[in-house]
Amino acid sequence: MTAFRTGVFALLGAAASAAGAAALQPGQPAATVIALPPMTSPDSGERGNQSLAYAWQATQLIEADLRQTAELMPLSPDRKDYYSYPEVTAPTFSKWRDRAAKGLITGFVQQRSDGRLTIGCYVYDVDKGRELGRIGFVVAKDDLRRAAHKCSGLAYKELTGSPGMFDTRIAYVAETGAAANRVKRIAVMDSDGYNHSYVTPGGTTVLTPRLSPKAHRLAYVSFQDGLPQIRIVDLDTGHQQPLLQGAAMSFAPRYSPDGRQIVFSMMLGANSDIYVVGENGGRPQRLTTSPGIDTDASYSPDGSKIVFESDRSGTQQLYIMDADGSNERRITFSTASYSSPEWSPDGKLIAFTWRFGDTRRIGVIAPDGTGELTLTRGPADEAPSWASSSRELVFQRTEANGRPAIYRVSVDGSAPRKMTIPQDGSDPNWSGTMD
Amino acid sequence: MRKILLIALLVAVPASAQLPGLRRREPAPPAPVQNTIEVLRADFAAQAGGTTVYFAPGSAQLTASARTLLVNQAMWLRQHPEVAVRIEGHGDPTDTRDHALALGAERSAEARNYLILLGLPAAQISAMTWGKERPGPPSAVTTLVPPPSGGPPPMVPAAR
Repeated sequence: MTAFRTGVFALLGAAASAAGAAALQPGQPAATVIALPPMTSPDSGERGNQSLAYAWQATQLIEADLRQTAELMPLSPDRKDYYSYPEVTAPTFSKWRDRAAKGLITGFVQQRSDGRLTIGCYVYDVDKGRELGRIGFVVAKDDLRRAAHKCSGLAYKELTGSPGMFDTRIAYVAETGAAANRVKRIAVMDSDGYNHSYVTPGGTTVLTPRLSPKAHRLAYVSFQDGLPQIRIVDLDTGHQQPLLQGAAMSFAPRYSPDGRQIVFSMMLGANSDIYVVGENGGRPQRLTTSPGIDTDASYSPDGSKIVFESDRSGTQQLYIMDADGSNERRITFSTASYSSPEWSPDGKLIAFTWRFGDTRRIGVIAPDGTGELTLTRGPADEAPSWASSSRELVFQRTEANGRPAIYRVSVDGSAPRKMTIPQDGSDPNWSGTMD
Repeated sequence: MRKILLIALLVAVPASAQLPGLRRREPAPPAPVQNTIEVLRADFAAQAGGTTVYFAPGSAQLTASARTLLVNQAMWLRQHPEVAVRIEGHGDPTDTRDHALALGAERSAEARNYLILLGLPAAQISAMTWGKERPGPPSAVTTLVPPPSGGPPPMVPAAR
């Protein structure tokens, strides 16, 4: 994969001070309409035509990104709305007010003599006629797609107040073969489905890939040495190694928000407890000591707390403790089971797998134990993982034919949507925004 | 390496079995020499009364019938101190992935601990978990491990 160069360059035009992350219409149920006229170019002649083709490609990518969201509704880009290069920073707001747009994205693509592209994007509040933010990159032509995702992310952040999830990756377990003899491989792809690749060859059962916050590294569980143990992979170099020395069973890894530590579960005899260790291994520090199964730990976004599941009460329930293992307190109290919690990137919600009898569903709850909400009907949903926007989740759904698939669902309660992947998939994990 | 060897031994069994519908005129091929481990496995399963102990859903507690079977397994293993076993724990199929791993590990550890309590050396018995990665009911399967031509069997620290 080509390295993504975020060469900062001087953006054209007057340096309008970037307005803060002002959500335009907070509390409105309807999506925010956003104008997206085709991006332009300062290039002229034949070169200009090529540049405009790149600009059109970028515009369509941004449109596709924004259409995936529940919060933004882009107006379809129309070539009749073409604007000149100077108008990138001086748009005609009245035109977009007439079409009920609240937001506007303008931008340009310019070809450089070294063969790379310069891309600039600007986001405006149409009602106030004010710039909200701008972003620019110098990228290889192959990375136009990622630059467009960054533009989408800027628009999403400025118009909703939440970070976007367009330039992120999803890891999951790719499954092929008969149920009795499943071949499982760790797969990683960009969240738009591009750059799909396999990280492990398939001869060994593998489980639960967990990406580091910026998706440079990945921790997963492998049966390579005859029992489940955590391994870590550097996705840039492909280098793999076990996280820990010794022959203990270890599983359920998750990175800390700064990526420097990994919290995980380890068996000591018949007891599963939660431990933390540096991202490169070393001596683990034990965080829980209860008899019974403590597992599936996940950090709060500020790294100060950890949510986990424990069956110490007789059924699996969610508990929160401080990051040093102190102050354990239970947050779910019901006859159902609560498991595989993951704390949202904005800190406001914890997603979990709800289980009663053989039915499994995805739900969310506030860290203080209030506001419990079920997002899916099941009957065999599990393993939720948050998008960096904190508005959406990926999860695993075992379908009626017994085959697992990856779905995404928005916390607004809309219906889950199946993701397109080359084969069956389980244990999805969504990264934060890449560098 | 060890795992590959194990799989090769397992497929050797059906290959040697006679398929009733496929009898030919040729004389039956000479009976293949069965690997010692297969003979031992068959003997272990027959003498002990089975390789698998079952658990109630969500539980790692050994039932009375599970303890009976483990006593019989221990008696056979005491007479075969040269044979190592691996106990493979299985979680519940409708559990979540990581809890199933931990529950399978608890089940294999409980079975292993009971065999040790019955006087078997800890080094003779290893334990691992498949979680819900292999279809089947909640159980712990005692598997005879092939001799260490491909490296020693995996060991786990004893419960403290």
